[in-house]
Amino acid sequence: MDKKIIYIKDTSFALDRTKDVHAILLNGLRDRGMQDSVQAVRVADIGAYNQGVVVKVLPDTTYYGVKDEDLGRILDAVKQGTVVKELAARKEPGQLRIVLRNCGVIDPESIEEYMANEGYQAIKKVLFGLKTQDNTIDEMKKSGLRGRGGAGYPTWMKWNFAKKMASDQKYVICNGDEGDPGAYMDRSVLEGDPHSVVEGMMIAGFSVGASVGYFYIRAEYPLAVERIQKAIDQCYANGLLGKNILGSDFNFDLEIRLGAGAFVCGEETALIASIEGKRGAPHPRPPYPSVKGLWDKPTVINNVETLANVAYIINRGGDAFAKVGTQTSKGTKVFALTGKVKNSGLVEVPMGTTIREIVFDIGGGVYKNKNIKAVQTGGPSGGVIPKDFLDTPVDYENLQKLGSIMGSGGMIVMDEDDCMVDIARFYQRFCFDESCGKCSPCRIGTAQMLGFLSKIAEGRGEIGDLDNLRRIAQSMQRAALCGLGQTAPNPVISTLRYYEDEYRVHILDKKCPSKKCRDLLSYKIIPEKCKKCGLCFMNCEAKAITGNKDDGYIIDMNKCVRCGRCFEVCKFKAVGKE
Amino acid sequence: MSKITKESLENIAKQPKKEENNWIKVGMSSCGIAAGADEVFKVLTEEVKKRNIPVAVKKCGCVGMCSVEPLVEVNVDGMPQVTYGRVNGEVAIQIIEEHIHNHRLVNDHIYDIQVKK
Repeated sequence: MDKKIIYIKDTSFALDRTKDVHAILLNGLRDRGMQDSVQAVRVADIGAYNQGVVVKVLPDTTYYGVKDEDLGRILDAVKQGTVVKELAARKEPGQLRIVLRNCGVIDPESIEEYMANEGYQAIKKVLFGLKTQDNTIDEMKKSGLRGRGGAGYPTWMKWNFAKKMASDQKYVICNGDEGDPGAYMDRSVLEGDPHSVVEGMMIAGFSVGASVGYFYIRAEYPLAVERIQKAIDQCYANGLLGKNILGSDFNFDLEIRLGAGAFVCGEETALIASIEGKRGAPHPRPPYPSVKGLWDKPTVINNVETLANVAYIINRGGDAFAKVGTQTSKGTKVFALTGKVKNSGLVEVPMGTTIREIVFDIGGGVYKNKNIKAVQTGGPSGGVIPKDFLDTPVDYENLQKLGSIMGSGGMIVMDEDDCMVDIARFYQRFCFDESCGKCSPCRIGTAQMLGFLSKIAEGRGEIGDLDNLRRIAQSMQRAALCGLGQTAPNPVISTLRYYEDEYRVHILDKKCPSKKCRDLLSYKIIPEKCKKCGLCFMNCEAKAITGNKDDGYIIDMNKCVRCGRCFEVCKFKAVGKE
Repeated sequence: MSKITKESLENIAKQPKKEENNWIKVGMSSCGIAAGADEVFKVLTEEVKKRNIPVAVKKCGCVGMCSVEPLVEVNVDGMPQVTYGRVNGEVAIQIIEEHIHNHRLVNDHIYDIQVKK
């Protein structure tokens, strides 16, 4: 008979007693003579957080908040094969894996493993089951899938526009130019399940009548490029790409193009220019790419995550997919959960899951048990969602109402130590660096906004700057040429909307409440705590600390460069920062 | 390799899905490799070969638990499917000795357990 397994973890935020509980359990097992038939294991993560001691008895009994005195009863129940009903817990919320269905499950370099997991069944169904472009697009329409790149445009409509265009040549492009700071779900899909994206491209190509597809992947993802290339080669070797695929009259070729590291090339018209070998700069829309795209031919551009959904939708049917999610946003979304969160990583949840569930139930809460301040979504095009709105179900519309966007799926958790002026300045600098310079609202707007934000963060801010920021933001939103410029003010607008007080403290009191903005800090030595060890004096590169071991030390704020070194090295917390 | 046809895809679909046991998978995406999955993979393949254990060591993509890479997933007969995190060469050997050989789970590195149906 198989051994029974109990696993335990103390999930309290304060003190980890896992080892103590483990010892009690081992003794209990020995007392009951069960040490050979049951193994108690300490685990590093049990999928629950701040629930006290969690004990799981395989296969499916979970006890939360177990006290030491309960352990005996649990062991007795294990011995008799029963459950202590009053202690057993509800089922915890889980993730739902559609896009990441194969990531971490199959060998990404093996076409056989992909095929053993429903691989290339969808393209077969499209060619021989659904047969026509209209049927395939209809299935996509039923699914309600919307673009996962940010704007959330319905995928079937994009395909339908391109399908309706009469042209001798059409193209499909996979947008793998993932540039948002902190977002990396596309990389993981490309690296972990390249064939699913290839299959999505084939289905997209069939639906719109394209015979050539391009993967546009940023050169910073060498492993993703390598694995996609391998997947394409395997497909050619197996007759899944090229002429007369699977014996049908569908021809399709795939090639890779590398992005050279410009953020703006994630914008579709700039991306097309880049593939054509031109400078990566956007041009006005309309005409939209589905009308006039790559080499002036109708072109469909889809995000990696969107394409990874396609095969699943075809296999399981659009209706089944549409059962997951909210009224307007169907399916799941992969978030790259990063920042001040315990379990950073990729999370795939059904649309409509609340931010709180994502950050606390799956992410394990805030790092070092600090208080959450806000969550940033959508990268440099998105906004900050304050903690009061954590219970908002995540979908395209809700995030927009809060002044953020879904974006590509970066979700950055911020705690009390994060300064909102600093955050806005960070994203503004990013947009300023990445602005292509073609249109003046973006080229000049990002520079001006960055100037005002720097002024505020450096203590030279005036109260009129806030209105100036708002005015520039508005004109950029209206007048910029492409998505980059139109959305670049979003981090500023959303922080101004929710945290204007914080801006005002920076301007009026010349203080940074989160102690982040360097130029607004001042350091001083607290004589009551100082042991006159001289460590700060020795470490001060700017020679701003004077004194000696007898009289103690003082910091001259005129010389101080606010590097924070003295604050870090002091073992007695005798250097005050404010 | 022979060409895949409509018929061969139909055959694959008809076959009952094989539940393969006795494998070790190492997450080898960028995040895993950056955390040292390369070395873990090397140690595991060498140890399995040296001890002549009938277990396949495979590569796979990222399951998403990036904060605890390198990740090693183990599935052997008579044991639940376990994901170990923060694995290094030492822990990899423990996994071979304890989990695979003695059928005892390794403490303090488990991040996920799936019960087989």
